[in-house]
Amino acid sequence: MIDVRHLSKYFDDLRLGRVYALKDVTFDVQPGEIFGLLGPNGAGKTTCLRILSTVLRPSEGHAEVAGFDVSSHPTQVRQNIGFMSGNTGIYDRMTAWELVEYYGRLYGLPEDLLQQRLAEVFETLQMDDIRDVLGAKMSTGMKQKVSIARTIIHDPPVLIFDEPTSGLDVLVARALLKAIESLRSQGKSIIFSTHIMREVERLCDRIAIIHKGHILTMGTIEELGEKHNQPDTEELFFDVISKYEQTGETMTSP
Amino acid sequence: MSWRNIRLIFQRETGDQLRDRRTLFMVVVLPLLLYPALGLGMLQMSLLFSEQPRTVVMLGADHLPEPPLLNETGNRIAEQWFTLPSDTETLNIVTDVDPTAAKEESAETDTDDENTDAPSETEVPFPDAAGGVDVDEATAETAPDEAEEERQVQLLAAREIRTRLTQLADLRKKQATLPEESPQAAEVVSQIDSLLSEISELFAASNIQVLIIIPEGFAAYMEAENERLATRSNEGAIAPEDRLRPTIIRNSANEKSLIAYGRVREALDSWEQAILNQRLEMANLPADLTRPVNADRLDLAKEEELAANVWSRLFPAMLIIMAMTGAFHPAIDLGAGEKERGTMETLLISPALRGEIVIGKFLTVLLFSLVTAMLNLASMGMTGLHILNSAGGGSLQGLGDFSVPPVAQLMWVAVMAVPLASLFASLSLAFALFARSSKEGQYYLTPLLTVTLGLTVFCLSPAVEITPFYSLVPVMGPALLLKGLLLGEAAASNLSWYLIPVLTTSLIYSGLGLYWAMDQFQREDVLFRESERFDLRLWVRHLFRDKEATPNFSEAVFCFVLVMLLQFAMLNVFSGALNSAPPGEQGMAMVKLLVIQQLAIIASPALFMGILLTTSLKKTFQFRWPKAKFWLLGLTLPIVLHPLAVELQQRLYWFFPKLPAHAQAALATLGDSSIPWYVILLAFALAPAICEELAFRGLIMSGFRRKGRDGLAIVFSGILFGVMHMIPQQVFNASLLGLVLGLLAVKSGSIFPAMLFHFVNNALGVLHGNYAAMRENSPLLQQTTIVSEFGVQYSGWVVLLALVIAIGLLTWLFRSEKYVDAELQE
Repeated sequence: MIDVRHLSKYFDDLRLGRVYALKDVTFDVQPGEIFGLLGPNGAGKTTCLRILSTVLRPSEGHAEVAGFDVSSHPTQVRQNIGFMSGNTGIYDRMTAWELVEYYGRLYGLPEDLLQQRLAEVFETLQMDDIRDVLGAKMSTGMKQKVSIARTIIHDPPVLIFDEPTSGLDVLVARALLKAIESLRSQGKSIIFSTHIMREVERLCDRIAIIHKGHILTMGTIEELGEKHNQPDTEELFFDVISKYEQTGETMTSP
Repeated sequence: MSWRNIRLIFQRETGDQLRDRRTLFMVVVLPLLLYPALGLGMLQMSLLFSEQPRTVVMLGADHLPEPPLLNETGNRIAEQWFTLPSDTETLNIVTDVDPTAAKEESAETDTDDENTDAPSETEVPFPDAAGGVDVDEATAETAPDEAEEERQVQLLAAREIRTRLTQLADLRKKQATLPEESPQAAEVVSQIDSLLSEISELFAASNIQVLIIIPEGFAAYMEAENERLATRSNEGAIAPEDRLRPTIIRNSANEKSLIAYGRVREALDSWEQAILNQRLEMANLPADLTRPVNADRLDLAKEEELAANVWSRLFPAMLIIMAMTGAFHPAIDLGAGEKERGTMETLLISPALRGEIVIGKFLTVLLFSLVTAMLNLASMGMTGLHILNSAGGGSLQGLGDFSVPPVAQLMWVAVMAVPLASLFASLSLAFALFARSSKEGQYYLTPLLTVTLGLTVFCLSPAVEITPFYSLVPVMGPALLLKGLLLGEAAASNLSWYLIPVLTTSLIYSGLGLYWAMDQFQREDVLFRESERFDLRLWVRHLFRDKEATPNFSEAVFCFVLVMLLQFAMLNVFSGALNSAPPGEQGMAMVKLLVIQQLAIIASPALFMGILLTTSLKKTFQFRWPKAKFWLLGLTLPIVLHPLAVELQQRLYWFFPKLPAHAQAALATLGDSSIPWYVILLAFALAPAICEELAFRGLIMSGFRRKGRDGLAIVFSGILFGVMHMIPQQVFNASLLGLVLGLLAVKSGSIFPAMLFHFVNNALGVLHGNYAAMRENSPLLQQTTIVSEFGVQYSGWVVLLALVIAIGLLTWLFRSEKYVDAELQE
């Protein structure tokens, strides 16, 4: 469902000249799979996900989402994805219900289907008590819920989560991860970025460790543990990155 | 693009703004409260103002000659001497004449020994002065005793001043007899000075605004004079310096005194005129003796036109300012505010197209701009009328009549509000989208506000009227048209055809603003700009370190700005040099200046920037040898376009404002036979062909082409080329030529055919300037040209032939394959 081939993205910086935020990145995500993009801050995770959601254009390489190329068919791509980031993007002066309804309409859902979906989503996410709360009055947890509701209101086949748990307490974060897990069981292709190893361990079927725009290593948790001879995932993450820092080696090839 | 999405976004944004208390306050509450509050304030002020009439003390009022200057009670100047009868209320006259004249006498003797608190004065009752007469409320409210006491104090001070003035007059007489620079004279001068400062102190302390002293026996003297003049006898004539004259004392540095003096003067002047008339009548002389010319004046303004005059100035200005203000705040909130709050990215990931988002937001800003403007104007108008109705128009009559303009004219306000508001909405939205944060948005929008205010002030000037040219200028077009339309129905019918250009261009400008706003949305660096500290050193280093083959867009824009700034800066230097040239050599001086201007101001910036900021002069300036056919086009195109340009310019003669004098002088040089023809060609054809092409088809167009759209690069560089010529006629012509030049340079991949074109074109222009003189001896010219009111024109068949060939050649050029630089394509 997501197919990324040799994707690069660079920016021209006054101080540093041409800076690659993403360099020759290749991976794919299948339906019913949660793919984890793991990396420290500034690794290029957000850039990668922004290209997948068509707000940034790739400098080199190709990316396809739900069968559409992000450069040539951005509108179709946007129609087929749900994107959620740690920055919730909730309007202050709209209630939860109005906001999700608004996005549902933007996605072109017919009115009867929209009302049905709204009721469903609000029920599954247990948001019925906050449906008339204005954005400005919501707690972070409430905003996160509304944000998920907005992401899935049009029932997209591809879901992109960009550090969704940042700034959340353990309880809310756990509920969020549960929600994402249940989306997998519906057969969605999910890409999930984070810098927290434990979340990946819990949630992801496959992971890629990304650092300074390069994918350093990729595979299931077990594969990576074997390959790098390190059963503890936190240590594994640290090892891979420090090795790259020392030698500049990536370990994408088996 | 789907209207459904636009409507969705528009509804959401509008609803969102309506829930925002700040916006609601700005748009609705403020205008509804502000003007009534301001109006009330003004009323209050004017009440306060009218409660404080100025005090004018008049000594010797019983010596006033006929006709009576004061009213019957003697506390006001008679109404008849004022243009506005109500002005009489603004001056409180205190005289030393009183019905109880005997007691007044005793008071006067008392004051001589400067005993102000003499008990006999305060006890004196003066019922008439305070209670019996119809005085204004303020005086009536204060206790009669108090008022009387004040009056006595003022009279006392006035008499003191009078005494000093007599001394002063004596001293001055004495001074005149003394030789200058003698010690006695110096002493007298110092005495005069101290007397003057004493008078000044007394006057300041007295709370008198104007003091009028009528000399004793003035009435008798005037009567005698009248008599003498009537009989035309010289018997008993008095030397001018000995004639009796009233003295008026005021302090023009004091505003109250100044205002009171203005009124006093008005009254005295008309009173004096009456006395003069009386005198003339007695002497059997015609009343208009003093006005030998006495022109007849006829004012054709109708009452509603006078009213319109005030509104026609006020409404366009208020409309512009309020439409701008109304757009300002919602635009920032919808643009930069949404970025700041992080909701923009979410919206960008939704299937709504960038265009739909921009148009939805634009419509919201437009709505708020319109509503703000309309509510403000309505509230202002209502308040104004209400105040006028309640206060009476009298005090404002000097400004014109304020009665309501007819509804039909008010409709124009609504009609013109739309183009103005849509221009402001699109521009401010584009600026706001470019900004990272609300704060930045305010910084970017402030210059827009300033420019708009400048244009508004310009439009306010009564001398500025709509012309075909102004009708195309943003903001000015709608504002001036509205001003004209509000001036009355007669004017409106003449102006209605301006609606077409004004509305069309406004639509185009708003469209451009919207296009720009949408372009912001396509730009990643604008959407996801990180706050970075601007480091000038780093930036300069980057400029020289990261040089590329051709300049970039900003460098091209900078080059143009530099050329324009240099031109502006050198304006004075050049005109100074031109004016200081000896009369016979001005033509030559102009030629020299033109060459210097071309080299120093136009070519140098472009060349220096090319050398410093790019790695390849060849690619930047397209120094390549072109194919032969482009040489041919460069030679033939200007020849066939020339008759068309001449024709076009003459057809559009009416459109442009008249040429300024200095441009006409420059044109006159073309026909100056004292300058050799090759010098003229050098200055008017060769220098511009090389220098202007280096700048405009060289550096500037190369920079624009980096954006990847050659068509836009040609159009923009052509327009800038036109703008550089400053004179409206030339701006238009040069822009059109610029398009052809740009096309030629892009297709050929070389600057040389454009230079050839430019040279031939300008040379033909020079030649055309001489046609009138050459025509007599040239059968060819006699066949191909005709003489019209505009000068020498080409015959119809020449123009037609030129048109056909030009279309052919342009098509050939258009279809030619574009030169592609393989390396730059990388």
